[in-house]
Formats: sequence, structure tokens, C-alpha cells
Amino acid sequence: MKPQSKYRSIGKNIQRRDVLGKIKGDAKFCADLDLKDLNLKNMSLKDLSLKDPLTLRVLRSSRHHAEIENIDIEKAKAIPGVAGVFTAMDIPGKNLMGIINKDQPLLADGKVRSKADPVALVAARTEEIAIKALAAIDVSYRDLIPVLDMEDALAPDAPKIHEKGNILFVRKIKKGDAEAAFKDCHTIIEKEYKTHAVEHNFIEPDAGAGYVDEDGTLVIYASTQNPHYDHKEVTGLLGLEDEQVRVIQAATGGGFGSKLDLNVQGFIGLALYHLKKPVRYVYTREESYLATAKRHPFIIHMKTGSDENGKLMAIRMKTFCNTGAYGSYGIAVATRSAVSGTGPYEIEHVDMESSCVYTNQTFSGAMRGFGAPQMAFAHESQMDLLAEKLGMDPLAIRVINGFKKGSTTGTGQKLMDSVGFQECLQKVKPYYDQASKDWVTKKISPFIKRGIGLGGMWYGIGNTGVQNPSTARIEMDQNGGITLFTGCADIGQGSTTVLTQIAGEILGVLPEEIHVVVGDTKFTTNAGATSASRQTYISGNAVKEATDKLSSVLLTEGSNRLKVSKTLLEFKDHSIHVSGNEEKSVDFAWLARRIHKKGGSLSWQGYFDPETIPFDPETGQGSPYATYAFACQLALVEVDVLTGEVNVKKIVAAHDVGKAIHPENVIGQICGGVAMGVGFALMEEFEYGKTISMKDYHIPTCADMPEVIPIIIEENEPTGPFGAKGVGEPALIPTAPAILNAVSNALGKRIYTLPANLERVLQASIESGQFGPSGHFGPKEKNNV
Amino acid sequence: MVHIDFTINGQQKALDIPADITALELIRSLLGLKGTKEGCGIGECGACTINVNGRAINSCLMLAAQLDGTKVLTVEGLATENSLAPVQEKFMENHGVQCGFCTPGVLMSSHALLAENPDPNDEEISKAIAGNLCRCTGYKQIFVSVREAARLTQQKGEGGND
Amino acid sequence: MTDIEYIRPLDLKEALDFLWDNGEDTRIIAGGTDVMVDIRSEGLDKKYLLDISRLDELKGIELNGQELSVGAGVTLSEIYSSRILESHALALKKSAFSFASRQIRNIATIGGNVAHSSPCGDTVPALLAHGTKALVADKKETRLVSMEEMATKAYMSCLSPKQILVKFILTPYGDGFADFQKIGRRRELAVSRISMAVFVKKDKEGKISFLKIGLGACTPTPCNMEAVEAFLTGKVLTRELIWEAGGLLAGNMIEITGRRSSAIYKEPAVQGLFMRILYPMVNV
Repeated sequence: MKPQSKYRSIGKNIQRRDVLGKIKGDAKFCADLDLKDLNLKNMSLKDLSLKDPLTLRVLRSSRHHAEIENIDIEKAKAIPGVAGVFTAMDIPGKNLMGIINKDQPLLADGKVRSKADPVALVAARTEEIAIKALAAIDVSYRDLIPVLDMEDALAPDAPKIHEKGNILFVRKIKKGDAEAAFKDCHTIIEKEYKTHAVEHNFIEPDAGAGYVDEDGTLVIYASTQNPHYDHKEVTGLLGLEDEQVRVIQAATGGGFGSKLDLNVQGFIGLALYHLKKPVRYVYTREESYLATAKRHPFIIHMKTGSDENGKLMAIRMKTFCNTGAYGSYGIAVATRSAVSGTGPYEIEHVDMESSCVYTNQTFSGAMRGFGAPQMAFAHESQMDLLAEKLGMDPLAIRVINGFKKGSTTGTGQKLMDSVGFQECLQKVKPYYDQASKDWVTKKISPFIKRGIGLGGMWYGIGNTGVQNPSTARIEMDQNGGITLFTGCADIGQGSTTVLTQIAGEILGVLPEEIHVVVGDTKFTTNAGATSASRQTYISGNAVKEATDKLSSVLLTEGSNRLKVSKTLLEFKDHSIHVSGNEEKSVDFAWLARRIHKKGGSLSWQGYFDPETIPFDPETGQGSPYATYAFACQLALVEVDVLTGEVNVKKIVAAHDVGKAIHPENVIGQICGGVAMGVGFALMEEFEYGKTISMKDYHIPTCADMPEVIPIIIEENEPTGPFGAKGVGEPALIPTAPAILNAVSNALGKRIYTLPANLERVLQASIESGQFGPSGHFGPKEKNNV
Repeated sequence: MVHIDFTINGQQKALDIPADITALELIRSLLGLKGTKEGCGIGECGACTINVNGRAINSCLMLAAQLDGTKVLTVEGLATENSLAPVQEKFMENHGVQCGFCTPGVLMSSHALLAENPDPNDEEISKAIAGNLCRCTGYKQIFVSVREAARLTQQKGEGGND
Repeated sequence: MTDIEYIRPLDLKEALDFLWDNGEDTRIIAGGTDVMVDIRSEGLDKKYLLDISRLDELKGIELNGQELSVGAGVTLSEIYSSRILESHALALKKSAFSFASRQIRNIATIGGNVAHSSPCGDTVPALLAHGTKALVADKKETRLVSMEEMATKAYMSCLSPKQILVKFILTPYGDGFADFQKIGRRRELAVSRISMAVFVKKDKEGKISFLKIGLGACTPTPCNMEAVEAFLTGKVLTRELIWEAGGLLAGNMIEITGRRSSAIYKEPAVQGLFMRILYPMVNV
């Protein structure tokens, strides 16, 4: 029988905050915002004589790599219905953006570096007129030699895409002496792995809208994962003060990392600055494909060595990732890759080098996992290859090497608490054993071959080795009503709900009774980005701190009133009462009025920044994260040896999340991550210049989904809010590795490139000898089916 | 221009419209019903799914002119004044919604399915919603929601209200 | 927004009369699933949109003795649930099962799918296997067109601007083994990489007495596979024989298309799919 929970809100699957609007069709995404939404105050529309917001459209480069000699916008400006045409010259502030390094102009400044580069911005009364205006803009280019892939970019005489050269960044991590250690290794596996670009393919194409408020504030609605970052970037671009710009996160239809960079916010801001009229920019899907971040394609060279018992001794990894024309999150991806490349395993000698390379393609940026999914493909394949060579069981070799409490990582960090990897392996084991015994051996047809595979992972919560704080504010009004202010963008993962559960738990109120103000830079403070699986842990702690402060003030006053020690008081139903004596109580309204009268504060700010130790510049040693999530997934697949089709039948997903504050949210993330992992493993390949629309790019449909068995493991994280860590990216990371290991198990032939699409799997089937009239039964076996 | 007469969410409409606009543009821009979404514009994502004469169709692929003489239902028309439709209620209860952008389309496909087949098995549910792409949920909680909505629909003895 | 005019004729005669005079300036729309995508990407440089989606003469699935007729305006959903097709053209019915999505099946028509002349049109293999003739009409006359003649090249049908596809006349197949299968990059909502329809009859001795094969997504226009059909007719099916025939089928494809980069996958996969689809007929 399940023990009764000690919590009222934590661990409960309450209804999500925002769901009613979404199922009624009332929730407003940016493309839904009309003039009446964009002009909430009293500005008369009569003089604006607009029926709709002005449509914005951008002219993008027609060259991969060129200098701009001239941009002629006169013909375009003259078209009736065109409200304005802008180029880099019209940007009043600093024309340079970038979430880590600033190398990306809002509008091209003398040079274009990809066909996604915006060259000019048009504002017009209708989309039709805007498109006409784009066609009327004349740009003369002086072509430069295009650098289309990493090989070209790294060639000694390669044209420089940016002044500093084509290597944006290199992260090195060195521990011990890998070169020497390899000499002592019994078994060494050295392979090269390759992954392709992947498109985020959130269902809502990027969009934004804006207007100028009666006090001259530029108000921008954004489909975004970080409204406060957007705000900072836009004020910088326009040379404005903080109060002159307001960014409001509208309902956001998924992001997965792509809506961290500015998409249309800068264009909206620029148009508002000059035109002072309501505007809207909605990307077509095709524009979203062309112009927004992709997952970094990787080339990974990995050498892993172990002793004769399978104990890992050394790893050397050299990777190159293609960051496209601009840096975006490239530095973070290279850094995180170097850290996570060891996998969740103890390895004494570590030599990692991750390089981030510019090319003249659409830029790569944050994409669920920041390089960890690509690394996991490599390190989990290596583990299976080692196991195979040593004649060991793949689960056993992971148990031997897997992190436990007290383990030291490749960066020299000792993992003190909340290390649930062994538990994940143990929870998957019964399914693994059963599948090995009963399932994988079943011969259902000569042409369908079953395979099973494991994927393990670890994922550092929060940004890697840098400060990434979150803030929050909680206020009580004089009626005892509670409002939570958070800059934390909820993009569908359910953060708003979780934050109210945390606050509600502390104050003894139902989460739904807490009013929330979310993602509005006029009212909220910076919570950092909704990325790196960080919001439950970091914003959760910020909310907890703020609420603890409010709670403390209320308890002090309550103690005064009820004449008992604070330790004997409890929160319930918007009151404080004496433990064991609910009659002896005082309600929030009374307390609030009292505190206010005394001059005390009812508004409390919380702040949290994970405790990390920055990387040593030489050795990369440090503590890049305060806590890590761990997971293991098991994949059961059926491979059609005749056609290369792979059917993922089941995924068992064991995830250590510290504490599941909202278990159904966690399950939602796991299932969503598995879906994305199936796509990453088998069918998603973004080809620059060729992948134009959703006809060309395949994300899984419901029919492609395996049965998912989610297993939530709660290895309490003492520094987390109620012990919680994070799950958003961990959900995705083990899936493709498990599937690829299963395919390899089925075919006896391994694939070293993602995606393992029809072509690659059929090729492997042919090479394995199973493609033939006997299938995998072999010529001597009778057909018993 | 072309003249069309049709009903949408129970209301009669008589409009003169350009010949080449899509049903999606008509619904969103001319009628101001923003619940139906554009995810791709080419029938590859299902976010724009509406019901026309009880059948789920991609409104981005239908000419608005082809709505003449039809009964149209969009997400705004699912709920009555007093209650949500079974699919809406159960999607809320069973965590079938994350970012919410695919949700109106999924609701309309599910609603059309249950009106025709109040007791679908998983294969039938899959066939009905395979044209609705979701990037957030991984579909599991969506299936739970549809199964629960089917149960509720059967209890209520309703067939749908298009 | 253009000045294009929308015309919805009340009957086939009206439609054909209109096309006789205005065919060059007209884009025909039935289900719209291909037309609308083209409009979005290329725009429409025509004066008229002729909506034939409600013409009764283009509807209906009927069996008349040795002729099974499927109206060009029949939707993929109607094909999906047709009892007549289940008994007499199962491969055609099956080709609707994973055709695009339900939303698209509800409005897409078999006539539109054929007339669009995409090499990947999923209804084409079954139509080929049934020796289908298409009834094509203009104001003055009707003629029968074989499936092999329907497309002059990829995405270009043989229809003149004055013509409408009225119906498809299939040879009904009753007893026997019929199947349609496709390979796509995902299990639903996927363009076929390869698709295939077969119909097989065996005699009392277990030898193949009748075999028809339709191959899709492998040739620019619909092609018959008579050589392979002849190779297998009169023989008893074994796995080795199917494999050999599959190799011939793949070879036929390469002869027609030349060795393209997609052949690296398609050549073995055609052979593989052929084995998968016919293998249930071994020892049965």
C-alpha cells in the first residue's frame, strides 16, 4: 500500500494552470493577436486607419557568403501600402545579438553569412504588399567563396566567415593521463560517430506582435523561452532604457531551445521604434525552417579503454560541431558535450576536446540536450561495443562503471547526493532480463528481427559552469490574496503549475488559489531561460526562497497573535493555526493588514543560483553543475531486414528526477522526449537547402510511438525544491542510443550515423547477411511460420 | 468574389469572399475565430483541423468557397453554454495538453471520431489522429484522454453536436 | 489575393462545356489537397477555379458484371470503407489505409491522385494491377485511357485542359490473394518511398495461374511489370523464386529510370518488399 504523502500539493497531479484556455481555443498565441488585443489602452485607431496590425516580412540573403555592396530600397518604399523599409542603417542601438557571444546582426551589416541572414525589413498593410515590396528590393552582392561544411571550414586556406576565423570555440577537459592509460588497457574501442542537423519543429511557427503604449513604451508580445533575455537584447538593439521596452510572453507553442534566440522580437521592436503603429510578424513554416536554429550536427571521434573486467580506464574524445553562420548557443553545446561525453561512468583518465565550427549555413543553437543527445549516441554505443568485445552483458558493464554517491566525474567533481543512475539500471533490469529471455529470441518471421538495447545518460541541470540565477517575487495583498511573479516562461512543460505547487505547499493554500503573473518584463524579474532543464530546480528554488520569506513573516506575526512559538504553528486554508488545535487560528487577511500597519513587507524576492565551480582554463576541471539528472532507457525494436524499416515496440524509461512535483508532468516530458528520441534515431534529418517544408521533414506521428513504460525514481536532491531536479532534456537523451543499440543487437551490424534511416538500416541488413530469401532464419532453418 | 452560405458553430453565415482564400483564412481572418491554428499551411501537421459535415479536414487545404452549403464546427463550437464537450473535459483531466498549439486540431479529430465511432480501439484512435502532429506530449496522454472521452460519450449517450 | 473566379458547375455537362471554352485558363479543383499546396508555393496564374468536388457523375463505386467502376470523385475515405472494394479490389482499398492522413482522405479523390501524376501516388499501383482503364471526357467525346498512358511524365498528366477524368474501370478480382504495401519514412502521413500492389491466383496444383503487379514510387510514370508477371506465371512459389522475381522487378525499374542515387536503396528494397508482400503465398 502506498504510504500517505506528507505533502498537500507536492507530488499531486493537479490540473494545469493554462489548460482551460487551450482546450477552448481561447489561449492567445502571437499569431492570434489582433488590433483589439494590441491596443488595450485608449489610442484611437481612427488616425491609424488600420484594419489589421501591419505585417512585417524580412528579405533574406540569396547568397551563402557575400559582401553587400548596395541595398536599394527606394522602389519598395514607393509601393502603396508599404509603411516602411529598414536596413542596418536604421538600427539605433548596437546591431549585434547573441545569447553567449555577440556575433549576429539583426539586419546584415555589409556581409551575409548564410541564406537565412536578414538583409532588410518591410512593414506593409497586408502580407501581399509586403511580399511585393520584398521583391522590389535590389541587393547587389560581391560573392565570397562559400564554406558549406565543417571540412571546408577547417581547411587551412578556408575563407573566414567571421574575423576571428572559423573555429568559434574549443573546450578541453583533461584529467589524469589518457594517452599513457590506453597503453595499459586490455580492450580499446575507437570509432567515429556522425549526427545530422535536426529541426525543432514545434507546432507553432515563430511569431510576435507589438504596439506602442500611451506612454511611449514599446510593447512586444513574443513566442519565447526567455522574455527577459529578449528584453535585454531589444533594448540593446534599439539603444533604449529598460522601462522603454516591455516584453510579454504570449502563449508559446513549444520551443525546445529554438525560441531562446530572438526570432521576430528584434524586427517587431525596430518597426515599432520607427513607425509607432501596431505590427505583427508570423513566420511561415518555411521561414521557420530556413531562419531559426538547428541542432548542431556532430562528428565525434571517441576512444574508450577498459581493463579485462570491463572497468573503464580511459577516454579520449575529439568532436566538431557545426554551429552554422552564428554562434548562438554553440559555446554551450561544445562545453556541455565535453563534459557529458564520458557518459554517467567513472573514468580515471579523461581527455576531451570539443570544437565549435562556423559554416555558411543556417545557424545551429540550443536544441533539447545541447549536445548531450549526440554524445549519448556515442558513449552508449561504445559501452555496447566494449561489452561485446569482452563478452560481457551490456547492463552489467553499465552497473560496474555507473556513477554512485561519491563517484568523481571527468571534470573532477565528486557527486555527493542524488545520484540515481544505479537505481535506474536496477529498475530497468527486470524488463531487460525478461526481454532478453522471452522477447528478443522469439522468431516471429524470417524477415522481422528483434533486438533490445540500453541507453544510459546523465545531464547537468542548469547552464554549464556559469552563473545562471533565477529570481521570483511573491506578494500578499491586504485581503490575504497571494500573487506569484515569475519571469519563468512556461512553453508547455508546466512550469507555472509546478511553481504554484511549491508556493502553495509552503503557505498551505491550493496552488490554484495563487494568482500568477508570468513572463511580463513590466512586472516580473529575470528567471533565466527555460532551457537546460533548469526551471524546476532554479526557479523552483527562487520561488521557494521568496515564499519561505513571506511564510516567515506571517509566522512571526502569527506567533505574536496566537502567543505560541513559531514551531508550533501550521498553515492551512489561508490561515495559521496552532498544531493540533485548528480553532486557535488567525487568517491571512488579518495578518496581512497587521504586517502592513506595522510597516512590514508583504512582498518578498527570492533568488537562486546553483553552486558551481567554473572550469579551470587549462584542464577544464571544475564543478559545472550543482546537480545531475540520471536515466536509463531500454528499447525493444523490430527490424524489417528486407526494407530497413524499424518498429520501436516498447521503451522502458527510468528517470531519476529527484522529486516529481507533478508526476503527470514528468510522464508527459518522458513520453514527449521518447517521441523526439524516436525521430532523432530513425527519421529526422534536416538537409540544408533541401528541407524546405513539413513535406520534407518527418517528426513521429502517434503511429510511430512505442509503448512507453515510464518509471519515476526519486533520489532526493537536498539542494532542490522539495528534492526536485529536472527532466525536460533527460527525457530525450537515452532514447536514440537505446534504439541504435537495439538495432545493432537485431542485425549484428552497427550503424554509426544518426538518423538510422531506411537507407542506413537496409545497408546494415545487407552487410549482415540477413537480407535474402531466408531472412535472418538462415538458409538451413525451416520456415515454421 | 464568390457568395457562400454556411453554418459555423451553429450560426448561419452569408458572405462574399475572394475565390482563392482557404477555409483557414476565412475562419481566422474574416470570422476572427482564432482557435483553429496554422502550423504548416500544407496539410502536413493537422493543427488547422476543423469538422465539415461531421468529417475532420485540414482547413488549410480547403477553399473557403467549398464551405458553401456545409455545416462547419471549430474548437470554439465544441462547448455549450453550460458544459465542455467530452473531449475537452477529458483532455483537461488527463493531461493531454502541454503547449496547446496542436490541441484544437487534435480535439476536432477526436470529436469527429467519437461522433462516428463512440467506442474506438487504439488502432482506430491512431488512424483518426495520425494526421495531428504533436511535438510535446509523445501522444500517450492524448490517447488516455480520447479513451476517457469515449467512455464519457457513451455514458452520456451523445453522438456529437455538429 | 487575386481576381481569380470560382465556378461550381451543377453537372458534368456544364463542367465540360466550361472547359471546352476556358480550359487553358482553368485550374480544376476536386479535393484540393494537391491544388492548394501548389497555390501556396507557386501561386495561381489561372483565371478560373473549377470546383468539380460535388459532381454526382463522378461519384460512386459500382460493380456491373465484369466492370468495377470507381468514380474519379470518390474520396480516399470512401475507398477506405468500401465493401465492394473489399471483395473485388482489396489492394485498392488497402492503398487507402495509410494514405496521408484521415483529414486528407476525407477530401482527396482518386481522380485527383491519379491526375496529379506524382510518381508516388498511392492509388496507382492497385489501379495498374487491376488493368484499369480511365474514362476521360471532354465536351465532344469520351475515351478510355490505360494507366500506363495516364502520365506523360512525372507531374504531367495526359489530360488536355478541356478534359475531366470521369471514372476508373477496373477488372474486379474476387478469389485470390490481394495486397498493397508501402514503405515510408514513418508509419503514417508519409510519402511512399516504394509502394506495391499484387493480386495472385493459384491453380489446383498450387501453380500461379494469374499474377498482376503494380509498382509505385519507382518509375516516373505508371508502368506495367508484365515481364515479371510472365516469369512467375505457371510456377509454384518458393522463397527463392520470389527473390529471383524481385530481382527482376528491381532490374525492370532500373531499366526504366536509369541508375539514380535513390537506386542504392530502392533496388534492394523493391526486391525486399516484393518478398514481404508475396511470402505469405508460399506453401499456402
